[in-house]
Amino acid sequence: MSRMPSASKALALLLTLSTAGALAACARVDVNSPQIRGVGYVRLDEVVKRHPLYGQLAGIDDAIAALNLSALGPRVPRSAAQIAAQTKSLNAQLKAAQDRANQIIAQKQGDFARKEQAAVAAALSAAGQSGAGSSVAGQMSRTSAQQAQAAAAAANQDFMAYQQSVIAQDNAALASVERELQAQAAAKFAARSEAAQQRESQLSLQLSQADASARLAAKTRLSNLAMDDATRKALRAQLAALDKKEADALASLRAKDQADLEAYRKTLQAETAAGVRTQAAKIQGQTRAKLESRRNEVTSQLRSLAPAPLPNNLSPALQAKIQQIHQQFQTQFQADAQATVDEYNQTKADLDRQFAALHGADVGATGAVGKQLADLQKKRSDLYDKIVAQIQSETSRIAKDRGLKVAFDNVEAAVGGYDLTDEVSKDVESLHE
Amino acid sequence: MKIRFISILAAVLLLGGAVAPAAIAADLGDVGFVDQAAIATLPAFQAANGQLNAYKSQLDGQYNAAIKAARSDADRQRITIQFQQKFSDKQREVVGPLYTRAKIAIAKVAANDNLTIIVDKRIVIFGGRDATKEVIDLLQSSQALAPPSATPPASEIGFVDQTALDALPKVKAANDEFAKFATDQRAAFSAKFASARTDADKAQVGKDYNKTLSDKQDQLLKPLVDQTKSVTADVAKKKNLLLVIDRADVIFGGTDITKDVQDALSK
Repeated sequence: MSRMPSASKALALLLTLSTAGALAACARVDVNSPQIRGVGYVRLDEVVKRHPLYGQLAGIDDAIAALNLSALGPRVPRSAAQIAAQTKSLNAQLKAAQDRANQIIAQKQGDFARKEQAAVAAALSAAGQSGAGSSVAGQMSRTSAQQAQAAAAAANQDFMAYQQSVIAQDNAALASVERELQAQAAAKFAARSEAAQQRESQLSLQLSQADASARLAAKTRLSNLAMDDATRKALRAQLAALDKKEADALASLRAKDQADLEAYRKTLQAETAAGVRTQAAKIQGQTRAKLESRRNEVTSQLRSLAPAPLPNNLSPALQAKIQQIHQQFQTQFQADAQATVDEYNQTKADLDRQFAALHGADVGATGAVGKQLADLQKKRSDLYDKIVAQIQSETSRIAKDRGLKVAFDNVEAAVGGYDLTDEVSKDVESLHE
Repeated sequence: MKIRFISILAAVLLLGGAVAPAAIAADLGDVGFVDQAAIATLPAFQAANGQLNAYKSQLDGQYNAAIKAARSDADRQRITIQFQQKFSDKQREVVGPLYTRAKIAIAKVAANDNLTIIVDKRIVIFGGRDATKEVIDLLQSSQALAPPSATPPASEIGFVDQTALDALPKVKAANDEFAKFATDQRAAFSAKFASARTDADKAQVGKDYNKTLSDKQDQLLKPLVDQTKSVTADVAKKKNLLLVIDRADVIFGGTDITKDVQDALSK
């Protein structure tokens, strides 16, 4: 073995150390390699799922889902202010629809009246009663004209106001009836549900009392440290069998109660709906009768302002002809007005449905649910932000340690670059150990 | 002699090791980012938004009145479209010139700093070049901005338009199927929720509901997501890209591979 000069020895040692260092560095990823080029990324969603607080986040998500499901039930979660605002909006829409319908009908009424007058005048002229015709027309224009129009407008206005107030009462009464019926149904359901719970509690108590002595004996024997394994195992099995027997009996009763309650809920819903329908029909019938009665009053008032009667010296044939003209225009007007009335009724039915759905909500309970939901969502958002901030801080630190130039959050696909996900996950996990 | 040879070899190795990364490929230093939220707080943008909000309030009143007077669904639909169009026109008129100026400013900063891509600040966790201040300075200067004459160099960061991928028939079909499943489950679980009596029972219903949706998502959508990721990676490899991000996060530059991914997924 040849001896090396000391300088060569030192160089060899230095080279060996340098090579070892270079090899060790190779074990770490070379972030400057062509595949990485100083770019890193972290799959944030994946790290979030591995974060120690993820369980808490998932728990909040489940609670939010549960609250959202409750929103689909019969009680829609709206606050009292929201219900008031929506009621106001519905009432405004209803009033606008009424005004529109009344305005159209009044316009049609005027048009048909003018046409009828023209037709009557033409018939009188054709029969050689031009003087009578012009006299009638003259009388009409003198006696009615502005005064009749003003009176008719005032009567219509009055009728519209009356109609609106009656309809508003109708809606309020309906909403009140509906609330009352729903409250009754809820109280009945709660009573049945409570009875079921009491039955289950009673059974649970009875079962545990019945097994108390056997359970106590087994437990006492189990506390004996000197007992052999086989006996200990048998005693544990005996205790487990007692637990299972009680749990099975309780589960059986609970399943029966659940089925019973579900059926009862459906019955109550059907009863409530039928009750609401009956009451609605009754209230709407009363409303129609009130409106009909007032309409008759208004019509008779307006009739007194009708044009002056025709001259007495008209032949029966001409009188019959004029009567026929009147009937014809009356029929045409009614058919034309009916389309407007139908359209209004359709709008009203739609608004009534929205009104009923809105007032089906339990203001107190749903306001609380809405607030609970908002609180949970804020809690979730805060927790998520906290988790993400921690992940980003760890990612930043590791990226700096590794000598990366840039690190991204969530990428769609990666051919190269350095995936920091595992390292960040481990670091985040270790921070909480 | 042998020692000398080893020494030379080791020295060459060391030297090679020291210069190799730079010689093979330089680190990607051409990634910039902009804080869009900071730009939105500039007085010009705030004034434009204020103007737009005032116009919207005024339009809302007109819209509500018009809707009330509408007699049919067709009328309502026509009115809604008409008002949406009015708002879009106003938006273009008020904010359009600002957006154009911002786009030009960003392009100029990218050209000056040799950046091949500028992304939204939210997706950059570490490093990159913050171009926000330069963009804001340019935007706030009184000078007229002309777009840079040279087109940006190709970037090794690619992007895909997820919205376009979601519109592919098979992706859309899967999404629609999942939406229907979710609606059905929502109804079914709400009935279960209604019959749950204790808080624990209700919480369990919520948990089961989330799990049911998550399982279905894994079964229905995850294979498509995996396939999309795999196809995107293949396309990216062919185009010598390092990473691919979502188009929504790209403000300027980058390499658009949406069409290639769409074509590959449609096969």
